This record gives sequence, structure tokens and C-alpha cells, in this order.
Amino acid sequence: MNAFPLVQEETLLPLVRRGDPKAQESLYRAYQAQVYALARRICRTREDAEDVLQETFLEVFRSIGQYRGNGSLWGWIRTIASSKALMRLRRNKYRDTDELHDDVAMPRREDTGLRMDLEAALERLSDTARAVVWLHDVEGYTHDEIATMMSKTVSFSKSQLARAHARLRLWLGEEAVA
Amino acid sequence: MTHLTTEQLLELREPGLEPGLDGARAHLATCEACQAELRLIDQRVARLRALATPRPGRDHFLAIRSQYVADRRRKRIRWAGIGSLALAASVALVVLAPDGPTGGRADGLSIGPAYAVATDGDTDLATIIARSQELEEALRVYDPDSRMIDARTATIAARLEDQLSTVDRQIELFGALDRSVPERQAERLRLWNERVGLLNALMDVHLTKATYAGM
Repeated sequence: MNAFPLVQEETLLPLVRRGDPKAQESLYRAYQAQVYALARRICRTREDAEDVLQETFLEVFRSIGQYRGNGSLWGWIRTIASSKALMRLRRNKYRDTDELHDDVAMPRREDTGLRMDLEAALERLSDTARAVVWLHDVEGYTHDEIATMMSKTVSFSKSQLARAHARLRLWLGEEAVA
Repeated sequence: MTHLTTEQLLELREPGLEPGLDGARAHLATCEACQAELRLIDQRVARLRALATPRPGRDHFLAIRSQYVADRRRKRIRWAGIGSLALAASVALVVLAPDGPTGGRADGLSIGPAYAVATDGDTDLATIIARSQELEEALRVYDPDSRMIDARTATIAARLEDQLSTVDRQIELFGALDRSVPERQAERLRLWNERVGLLNALMDVHLTKATYAGM
């Protein structure tokens, strides 16, 4: 997912570094939708996503001096947002354990004949699996990067993604056409 | 025939294929079923990317700004606090010294009017700094950052925090200047009074949630 580039980034960032409220607001307005969308896809609830949005921009305003222009500004903000969202997941320890179990290949009875839309299927994944799918398939992070952010191994990230896709395929009732 | 696993198919989508996947690639080239599975994955990823973008339910900028300013003020106050404590201590020394403002000097000369005026100012300053510290401590204990606030309260709190920052910067500036100049002392007193007023207003806003603060 690409954010819109911030118009006049070069003139705005020095002002943001000085804590100028109007410049901060411009930065917030330019990227808040993207940050919230990322947070909402990773977090289980809207409230958590809104907390992540606030924590992300607070961190951005505090640490903007550390952004040296290596890579895009959105890339830098997105890394902060992803890290905050994953931190929130770890803190909350939602309903599931963080592992997807090996029952992926063996559908539960209620999965048989089930056909749900993609939003619902995504919601149904475990927190970790959903985060890996979103970070890899949508945000474009590599398995190496995801493993680092999650403090896990690369093979963990790969297997989470594969299992999540297998589940999504099942829940979406997709038929392969050769 | 053994078809490719989901993990292998996903690996084949990664940029920079690993050498160990040569066999998988060769299989894919000839297996229509695996090609169809790979297309399904591509389509699923495309659908994920096309999902609607959720929007936050309300605007969060003022709450973020308010917290940012409060953080910055706290940091500044940690440093300014050391300075003001030192100032308060020196004021107390002058006021409480046996041969203080009303006493005579060891060399028998009387204390001039300028010194007497500055001492009154010092006493007021010590009181107002102490009051400022009390309010600061009360705010710290109340910990507004940990509480939910509505947009109107956040707006007013952010404005007050901004004003406090400005006053703090001026106090810092005056702290670096010569204290013996009476005009500067008067200005310093005015700034600390303003600071206490703003802290009082901030407490009111947080405690009464703006609605009843008449602002």
C-alpha cells in the first residue's frame, strides 16, 4: 500500500522537527489514513487501532530528528506504525494463542461448505497470521523484515503465511481452474 | 504426481528465487493444477490489496498534539525545575538570613531602596515558584495522559500546553540573565504568575472536562 507523497516534504520536515503545530498537523493529515488502515488490519479492534494511530504519530513527532531521508518518509512512518501495532498485539494477547495450529489441512466441521467474504476471513485468522499476511502481501515487507519486527525466525514468518493462505483458500471457498 | 505445497508456491512468488526451488519451478512449468493454484494466490493477494481502507472514527490530532506538548513541557521542566529550585533556595537564603533585607550590613552601610525592592520581589517569586511546583505535582499525580478526554477538552488543553511552552521558554531565557536588574526581576515574577495561571486553568480543564470550565 503506497501513501500519497507529502507535498512540500522538504520545507515541512524542518518545521516538524521544531515542533511547529501546523507542520505537525499537515504531516498527520497526509499519513493518518494509511497509518490507521495498517493498524486496523493488524489490530483486532478499532479502539486498539486508534491507540496505535496516536502512539505512532506521537513517536513520529518525537523522533522526526532521526529521519535522515534515507528511504521514503512513508516507509519510515510505516515501520513505526507496524512496530506499534505488533507491540499492541503482544500486549493484548487476544483470544487465540499466537500460533496457527496444524488443523489447517483438516477443516473443522463448521468450515465445510463455508464461504465467507475476504474481510471476514481475514478477521478470522489468528492475530499473528493476519499480521504476517498484511505485512507481507499488502505492505510488501520481506520475511526477513517481518521476522525482525516480530522477533521470530524467517521460517516462522514463511510458515505463518503459507498456513494463513491455506486457511483463506478454504474459507473463501475458492476453486482452482486449471 | 506430487503437487507443490502452498509454501512452495508462495516461495516461487518471492523475488530472487532460492536455488533449491529449481525443481519446484520445473514442476510448475508443466503442471496445470499448480499453475491454477498459483493464480488463485495471485488473485487473493490482489483482492487483499484492493480491500477498502478503513478510516478512524474521529480526529486524533489534537489529542496527539496535547500529549506531545505535555511531554516536551515535562522534559523542559525537569531541567528548568533544577534552575528554579536553585533560584528559590537563593531567594530563601536572602529572606531568611539574620542580616537579611531589613538588617544592616557588616560594614555599617544601610541597604539601598533598590535592594529592598528586589527582596520583596524575591519573596513573591519564591512563593509563586512554590505554587507552580505544587500545581505541577498535582497535574503529575492526576496524570491526564492516562485519561480519556473529549475533543473539546483536548483542544483547550492543547492550547494551554502551547501557551505554557511559550512561557517556559521565556522563563528559561530570563533564568540565564542577570538577576540583579529589578526590571528583569519584575518580568520574571510576571512570567511565573502567568505560568501558575495557566497551570490552574489546565487543572480546571482536566478536572471539569472543559464543559464547566467556562472556556
